[in-house]
Amino acid sequence: MSTSHGEQMMVEQIKAGNTKAFEAMVIQHQPKLLSSMIAYTKSYEQAEEICQQTFIRVWQKIESFRGDSALFTWIYRIGINLAKNNFASSYSKNSSNTTSLDISEHDISNHISPETDLIDKESESTIFNFIASLEMELKTAFSLRELEGRSYEEIASIMKCPIGTVRSRIFRARQLILEFMNQENII
Amino acid sequence: MTKEMEKISAWYDGEVTQQEFDSGLDELNASAETKKTLHQFALLSEVMQRQQKSSSKVQMIKDYFPGNNPWLSNIITAAATVLVTITILYQFDTNRFGVDDENQMQLATALESPEARSQLLSADQNVMDHLIHIMASNQPHGSQNISQDWIPVGFKQSQQNPAQFSNGRNNLFFHIENNKLNLTKVKYFQASNSWIYLIPLGDGRLLTAYGDVPPALASKMIQAIK
Repeated sequence: MSTSHGEQMMVEQIKAGNTKAFEAMVIQHQPKLLSSMIAYTKSYEQAEEICQQTFIRVWQKIESFRGDSALFTWIYRIGINLAKNNFASSYSKNSSNTTSLDISEHDISNHISPETDLIDKESESTIFNFIASLEMELKTAFSLRELEGRSYEEIASIMKCPIGTVRSRIFRARQLILEFMNQENII
Repeated sequence: MTKEMEKISAWYDGEVTQQEFDSGLDELNASAETKKTLHQFALLSEVMQRQQKSSSKVQMIKDYFPGNNPWLSNIITAAATVLVTITILYQFDTNRFGVDDENQMQLATALESPEARSQLLSADQNVMDHLIHIMASNQPHGSQNISQDWIPVGFKQSQQNPAQFSNGRNNLFFHIENNKLNLTKVKYFQASNSWIYLIPLGDGRLLTAYGDVPPALASKMIQAIK
């Protein structure tokens, strides 16, 4: 899968040195990367540090990202390589060279939270039961987006409705699920 | 506020114009609340992806539509299993019945090769989309568009469900709408004791018939449908 239009805009901004775009990208991809690194390292602390190093590396190397793959795939590869290197060198906390960066580690670590790790299986199951109880139109649009990775245009075609309707259904589903997660103290 | 958050939701999905992308970035920079919302969207995506990794997509889709159309839901689960194992996938020839040689070749290759099996599965993604669409549809599959000529001999309409026809042993359900799949030939899928028939009609619509009616019983129906 290559980059989507939205990702291309994001990458162009980051390449142009836009730190706001970089920060937004970190917020967007951090939960997935952290989760992947926890699965790989079996350690929350190590995963957190690798995530931090990964995003620093992304900022340094973004010029070399050509868009042949999805942005997260590229980020994930960097993360895995760092994890392997760290593992090979018995994991030294002082191993990263971060002194010449415009983006400070502090900016990145602000967005690394333990939430993904804290959403346990029971809470996941509660969330999925809630999703199943949503109106058909909402859960269909949301599922096609989140599970199938379909574009709004494709979802509109499958659901036979305008793209604007898809957009509001996906948002409404997200809003209701997040409200529920808040109510249940899941997040 | 809701409209602003809706824009951030679309921004998160990358479904925005350049102008909306730029204003979304400004909004994120200006509002800690918006940043938090974006983070929560990402968190929710991760939870969804994590769940998907631990269970099959079809099972998840099925779970999301409990009780809506249990018959079709069960068939889709079974059909997906069949697609994965590639027990059988036939396409009728121009006489509307028979076996397409090319598909048999595909089938034989698929049985030998995981890659070919995967390709065959992808080729029928649109069909799966169509079935998910039917399953998610709230519209009653009424009998007003179902021609009596299509009903196999011995089958009668159910009083409880006008889209269901039964001969006492076998059940058949109908769904009809415009042919977005652009099928020109009849296709059917077998899933253990269930079958799904996709039958393009002469007027540009697509008849989807599903149930525990085997081809031997359905063949006259398929040949009668124009």
